[in-house]
Amino acid sequence: MGHKVDVQQGTLALMILKTLEVLGPLHGYGIARRIEQISGDVLAVNQGTLYPVLLRLEQEGAIASEWGASENNRRARFYRLTRAGQKLLQAETRDWEQTAAIIGRFFRVKAKDFS
Amino acid sequence: MRRLERFLARLRNSALRRRDDKRLQEEIEEHLALQTADNLRAGFPPSEARRQALLKFGAVEAIREEYWAEGGLAFLETLLQDVRFGWRSLRKSPGFTAVAVLTLALGIGANTAIFSVVNSVLIRNLPVRDPQQLVFLTNPDAQGMEQGFGDGDRDFLTYPEFQELSHNNQVLLGLAASASEGPQLSVEIDGQSGEGTPARISLVSGSYFSVLGVDPILGRAFTSDVDTMRDASPIAVISYSFWHGRFGGDSAVLGRKIRIRDTSYDVIGVTPSQFNGETVGLSPDIWVPLSMQSEVYPGRDYLSLEPKPFHKIEWLQAIGRLKPGVSVAQAKVSINVAFQQILQSQTAPMSGEERRMFLNQHLAVVEGGRGASTLRGDFSKALQILMALVGLILLIACANVANILLARSAARQRELAVRVAMGAGASRLFRQVLTESVLLATIGAAFGLLLAHWADAALLRLVAGGPNPVPLDVHLDSRILAFTLGVAVLSGILFGLAPALRAARIDLSSVLKGTSRSIASSGSQAGRVPVGKTLVVAQVALSLLLLVVAGLFLRSFQNLAAVQIGYDSDHLLLFGVSPLSSGFKGPRAAQLLKDIIERLDAVPGVRSASLMDNGLFGGGDSNSDIFVEGAKPKAVETPASRWDMVGPNFFSTTGIPILYGREIGPQDGGNSQRVGLLNQTAAHYYFGDANPVGSRIRVKTTVGPSDFVVIGVVGDSKHGSVREKPQRRFYIPFFNPIGDASSANVLVRTSGDPATIVSAIRAAVKQMAANLPLIEVQTMNQRVSQSLATDRTITKLSGVFGPLAMILVCIGLYGIMSYAVSGRTSEFGIRIALGAQRGSVLWLILRESLLLMLVGVAIGLPLIFGAGKWISSLLFGVKPADPTALALATALMLATGILACYIPARRAMRVNPIVALRYE
Repeated sequence: MGHKVDVQQGTLALMILKTLEVLGPLHGYGIARRIEQISGDVLAVNQGTLYPVLLRLEQEGAIASEWGASENNRRARFYRLTRAGQKLLQAETRDWEQTAAIIGRFFRVKAKDFS
Repeated sequence: MRRLERFLARLRNSALRRRDDKRLQEEIEEHLALQTADNLRAGFPPSEARRQALLKFGAVEAIREEYWAEGGLAFLETLLQDVRFGWRSLRKSPGFTAVAVLTLALGIGANTAIFSVVNSVLIRNLPVRDPQQLVFLTNPDAQGMEQGFGDGDRDFLTYPEFQELSHNNQVLLGLAASASEGPQLSVEIDGQSGEGTPARISLVSGSYFSVLGVDPILGRAFTSDVDTMRDASPIAVISYSFWHGRFGGDSAVLGRKIRIRDTSYDVIGVTPSQFNGETVGLSPDIWVPLSMQSEVYPGRDYLSLEPKPFHKIEWLQAIGRLKPGVSVAQAKVSINVAFQQILQSQTAPMSGEERRMFLNQHLAVVEGGRGASTLRGDFSKALQILMALVGLILLIACANVANILLARSAARQRELAVRVAMGAGASRLFRQVLTESVLLATIGAAFGLLLAHWADAALLRLVAGGPNPVPLDVHLDSRILAFTLGVAVLSGILFGLAPALRAARIDLSSVLKGTSRSIASSGSQAGRVPVGKTLVVAQVALSLLLLVVAGLFLRSFQNLAAVQIGYDSDHLLLFGVSPLSSGFKGPRAAQLLKDIIERLDAVPGVRSASLMDNGLFGGGDSNSDIFVEGAKPKAVETPASRWDMVGPNFFSTTGIPILYGREIGPQDGGNSQRVGLLNQTAAHYYFGDANPVGSRIRVKTTVGPSDFVVIGVVGDSKHGSVREKPQRRFYIPFFNPIGDASSANVLVRTSGDPATIVSAIRAAVKQMAANLPLIEVQTMNQRVSQSLATDRTITKLSGVFGPLAMILVCIGLYGIMSYAVSGRTSEFGIRIALGAQRGSVLWLILRESLLLMLVGVAIGLPLIFGAGKWISSLLFGVKPADPTALALATALMLATGILACYIPARRAMRVNPIVALRYE
């Protein structure tokens, strides 16, 4: 199963938002599969943890949900990004990139750079 | 914003106890179905495809838990759960709950009751717009009228000063004035029959309502143009309660006419129900413009500029609204500059020394949001003391409830242990037990609120010292509610903490195995003083404190009641008359007063009648410098003396004894040589043991120097209050006055109960002058009693609180000792079986209780000395460390304590050794 990363809730939320932005409305399983595809094995277990995060995002107003029909024509809950979610995603993305850039720079630094 | 939205969504879910279980279930089902389908497509066999899907999804139960935790407010839900559980467990033991709730209701109710009064007198802002912007230029704690002049901070303003300041200042949005003391006058309403009942009139400036920001609920308020025309604005604004009481809340009240004295006023507006004027505890019924002063106080002119500055009448409270951004300190500086200019303009006729003193007058300018009140001097100290006393009562009550809870928690150990075994954490148990305590306290507080409502009515009657309560608004507001809730939660935590800690520390195995002897719980922790006993010791200390305080106030009040006022207060009736206000001037006024006295003398049941200027226990007094011929002015002390003008037979009517010489008689009126009498203190001060009769004394007053010849010496007497120290005082004839004597206080000595001939006296006065109202007809005893109202209030209340505390402590002692005895039944059985005398077993228990109490007393004593210092300003003739009060309180405490322990001790003595040993 390889190296297992403990996915933090915040990261998971960001992944969900991005997925919904790229692919449009999706049901829970669709989101889980997409994240699995992109992140490899990272989310291979505990897919269920997705649902509490979805509920939280919905309560915060970042996503909205409604019932729809799934691929096998059964009732499934479809989630979509709201305007507030769009803004949130932009802000979070900016934050994430900044953080990643800073951390990245730290890791690139070698001892001789300080001298 | 996002957080708030989410919180609201969760709160909604929690409140509705809605769990989207069905939705989650369905989503999980669908998720698994899709995953299974994918797995099948990937080549898994059908049985394995579903299993793999489940594995990949993770623990459904855990996710569901997490989902709920996200969905609702876990904290709130546990709290609700705890409350529901607590409620059930309280209902299971109704006896315990009733006792605890009753104890707490008493404790919390007493606190709420006193706090309601504290709130309305000391804390609450006036119900006006932005009260924090208001400032008093005058002294909000003073009430009345001052004539003449004194230096320092001014209590009141004159009308010309008010007008000048309202036009010339840079710091105020507006300035309002109100007559500090509104008269109570009989008021007739056009179209309503019957005798007019008295109403309180308040004279206010046109700016009054707009500066305070009070909008009438009906009609309109005064505007500033009512100030410009003297005697030409017969309009009135009435209070909400007057509107309801006298007009039945009729909306057609506007334009109706109210008759006060000889003037009819049009009603133009009604104030909101919560507005009771700027003075807390006065509650005017009718407001009329200041420009109508001479209609309300006929015969006098308070509005014009007095030509002699020393004669000016200061009678107005001035309230300003600060401009935005101006601080009180800035306003004070700026207003005093303007005030100095006003004073400067009046100094022309003065000598240098007079000018220097005259200019040394200032305006204090203080925050005014709370309004004016005379209740804040001594009464505020009394209130603080009462607040502290009820706080202590509540502490004692809490200790009792804590003790009961501790005893109960020992009995509940099994239940708690089972819950621990089922997986409840220590913190969860702690919270559960504490929630139960707070719930208990909250229920107690709810009953306490009801109790407080009733207690406040009684309290206000007690403070008033008469049948009519002080008109204080003590209605339940958010602050009182918050206070009560705060007190409830705090006391719940206070008395719940020990049981909750014990619950959290429960020793699982020993309880469940049944090896822990439930009763040994307090004794088993070797070397540690059990909580219950510590509580009892603290209770004894506090209740001893309360008992001593009660004793001190009782002794102080006895001293006050026993003070000799210098004359016989029984069978003495007093009332005021003001001939000038009814149109009698100069010699006609004097003649009317002479006629009234003569007529009263003839009323059956009247032994004699006389009159005086300032009256007794009525608030007024005169003070002037005197110079005695032949006596050296003493260097250190001021030459000032109190004085009064009295009618013929004043001394025989009051009963003030004449020590030398003769009293003032009918022959001393008119323009003959003015005579006078000194009281004993003055005679001794100026003449020592020599006889002063025949000496000449010069009085310097605002009307200039006057002389009198001493014709006698009378005994000292109290004129204003029971507390006043013997003061130098002289008396001169009312009908040969210094200054004018146009109003008088009439004294009537009756042979029987004065109350029975009041109507005969009224009729007699009416014969002489039909339109002359009698002001404040009261017996001397009533006046003395009213002057002690604050003292009586605090004495009576502390007299209730002291014993109440003692009873609570006895209940606590009884409980803790019964508990201890029941836990040691086998021990006593063994002792008795081994031959111990039953008496010695009894003594064993009593000794233990006595020890607890003595420790409490030892701790209580230093507290008592501290508290005694704090209350000493309200004590009269008794030291804070009064040995009698101390000894009596300690003896009472010990005696009742022993009594409370005797019952359990006797039970211990009667233990049947056979039963006791078999029991174990």
